[in-house]
Amino acid sequence: MIERLFVAGLSHRTAPLEVREQLALDEDKLREVLGDLAGRGTCAEVMIVSTCNRVEVYGVADVPGEARSAAFRRMGSQRGIGLPALEPLLYTKYGPEAVQHAFRVASSLDSMILGEPQILGQVKDAFALAQSCRTVGPVLHSLLSQAFAVAKRVRSDTEVGRHAVSVAFAAVELARRIFDGLDGRSVLLVGAGEMGELAARHLQDQGTLPVYVANRTSSRAQELARELSGTAVPFEELFAVMAQVDIVITSTAATEPIVTMADAAQAIHGRRGRPLFFIDIAVPRNVAAEVNDLDGVFVYDVDDLRSVVETNLRERMREAQRAEALVEREVTKFADRLRSLEVVPTIVSLREKLEEIRQAELARALGRLPGADDATRQALEALSQGIVNKVLHAPTVKLRDSSKAGHGRRWIEVISELFGLGGKSRGGPEP
Amino acid sequence: MNAVVFDVALTAYILAATSALVSLAWRRDTFARLARELTLGGWVCHTVAIVLRGFELARAPVLTLAELVSVMLWVVVFVDLWMERRHGLHALGAFVLPVVLALGLGLPTGLRDLALEPRASSAWILVHVALVLVGLAALVLNFGSALMYLLQERQLKTRRPGSLSYRMPSLEMLDRLTLATLTAAFPFLTVGLALGFARAGRAWSRDLLLDPLALFSIVMWIVYAATLSGRVVGHWHGRRAAYFSIVGFCVLLATLGAGVLFQGRHGS
Repeated sequence: MIERLFVAGLSHRTAPLEVREQLALDEDKLREVLGDLAGRGTCAEVMIVSTCNRVEVYGVADVPGEARSAAFRRMGSQRGIGLPALEPLLYTKYGPEAVQHAFRVASSLDSMILGEPQILGQVKDAFALAQSCRTVGPVLHSLLSQAFAVAKRVRSDTEVGRHAVSVAFAAVELARRIFDGLDGRSVLLVGAGEMGELAARHLQDQGTLPVYVANRTSSRAQELARELSGTAVPFEELFAVMAQVDIVITSTAATEPIVTMADAAQAIHGRRGRPLFFIDIAVPRNVAAEVNDLDGVFVYDVDDLRSVVETNLRERMREAQRAEALVEREVTKFADRLRSLEVVPTIVSLREKLEEIRQAELARALGRLPGADDATRQALEALSQGIVNKVLHAPTVKLRDSSKAGHGRRWIEVISELFGLGGKSRGGPEP
Repeated sequence: MNAVVFDVALTAYILAATSALVSLAWRRDTFARLARELTLGGWVCHTVAIVLRGFELARAPVLTLAELVSVMLWVVVFVDLWMERRHGLHALGAFVLPVVLALGLGLPTGLRDLALEPRASSAWILVHVALVLVGLAALVLNFGSALMYLLQERQLKTRRPGSLSYRMPSLEMLDRLTLATLTAAFPFLTVGLALGFARAGRAWSRDLLLDPLALFSIVMWIVYAATLSGRVVGHWHGRRAAYFSIVGFCVLLATLGAGVLFQGRHGS
């Protein structure tokens, strides 16, 4: 069963953006392709993950190699890209390697930005879409459920996604180290730089933070204040507002610092020790470096934030190694389980077959003994049951063991043949 | 027997302090969890040790300086556990436990058989002792949070915060904690000391001025009074307030040291 599982696709590691863009299909097209692949019997089960960083087909098929080619031929045809053009960009993984790939992708270990959280949601969406198209069967169902569980464990047991890896988020994280909760803190945004705006937005995501915007061009300040649902303040009142707020983001194009030591000292006077956090994203810097020496004032410039990000990235990579080990263990467990599932239908039908024989023979024997009392009936019942169980024992153990060792299919065929079990047993029980 | 159980408790505290400190250096939760469990285990043993001692000596186990310190540490560990659980202050143990140990390790020698002079033992003494104990316990936590404040502030000021910074609560929270523990400690300390002086003034008369523990207590009280009034009236915050808390704690240690080293009227 696990041998029928495959993953094929292209990602930021193998294909340039232009190709990924071309292959990324919208939901309607995806439904079409999924229906096609399952409908024509190319794949017994199929699902497609399509994001800006990867396009991957997860499938179960009798001939995985063919199914994979068919899938990409079908997807490429939507955009007029032939399979030969795609072939060099594609990777394909079968069996346990496909399981590992699914777990790594869901856990964000294969992401462009290691540990970024969006991918899990994207895989979940892809799974839901395939489910709604009824192209998910028992194998993909258990694979993806397990992948989501592994992703959750990776997130909780390692710190691969814990710390900020963008400058704007690093600023938010630092604000959390200074302030006890960000809800209700006020922010002053000086200048209209894009990065400053982004940092202000990230801060606003953390709670209700009133934002004040000051800019030399007051129309631009008004505009930005509207976008951030904040308040525009005249540039001349900059320092008066600075004395009130908790966080100041500066991103003006000024060539000289606009916040000097004296200004900052003035601003923190009468704050009663309430800290003031400067996020200086401007280059050259808008806040004089020595302002950081004031008690209760913290100044971080772009270089500082970048170095925080670098430290966090290194930390993520270290944590990723632990996550990989965790994934590795889970893959082994899952592959074993999948393999053991493969023999379950055979064991069940073997048991049913023998039970059928037993019942029939028991009825015949009892028919010949019309005067049998309860004790005799029970004895016969126990006798037949005992024989059936003894007969079943060896083949059941053999099937289980062989599935663990990875050659369950051979024994399924042998035992089906020997005991005359109808049809080929294949596919696990419905989840 | 109680001394043996006490040693077990101390051992658990040593291990707990070690793993709490290790957890600070790494951004990983395993050691922090281990530290919490060891602390809890140690605290349970500590409880048993105190109760056992009471039974074995057939008297309240709070009549010698060593016993007092032991009970105070018991309160400190309890409050530390409570705050870590309730407020998620996971790093607190790393700063409080070493203090507990520094004081606790001196105890086994002093625990044995030093008792207050019989004529001083009365209900008043017990109240005096209990109040001062609660005050001192809060001051140990005050020291822990002040130390954390300074470390966190240092980390943030260098603009290259390391994993230590991520392990500790926010600056504001630490500042509040320092103020809260000091505010909680002060009334207990004041009333407790006042009771002691009132009682001793009558019982010991002139000897009071020669008792080192009593003298150091006054100095300690003055330092903490200054810190608290600075915070409340002068609106001291942050670094300065934290430094004062640490100075106060040094005097506290000197006070306890004086009580142990010099023979005064307190008995040891």
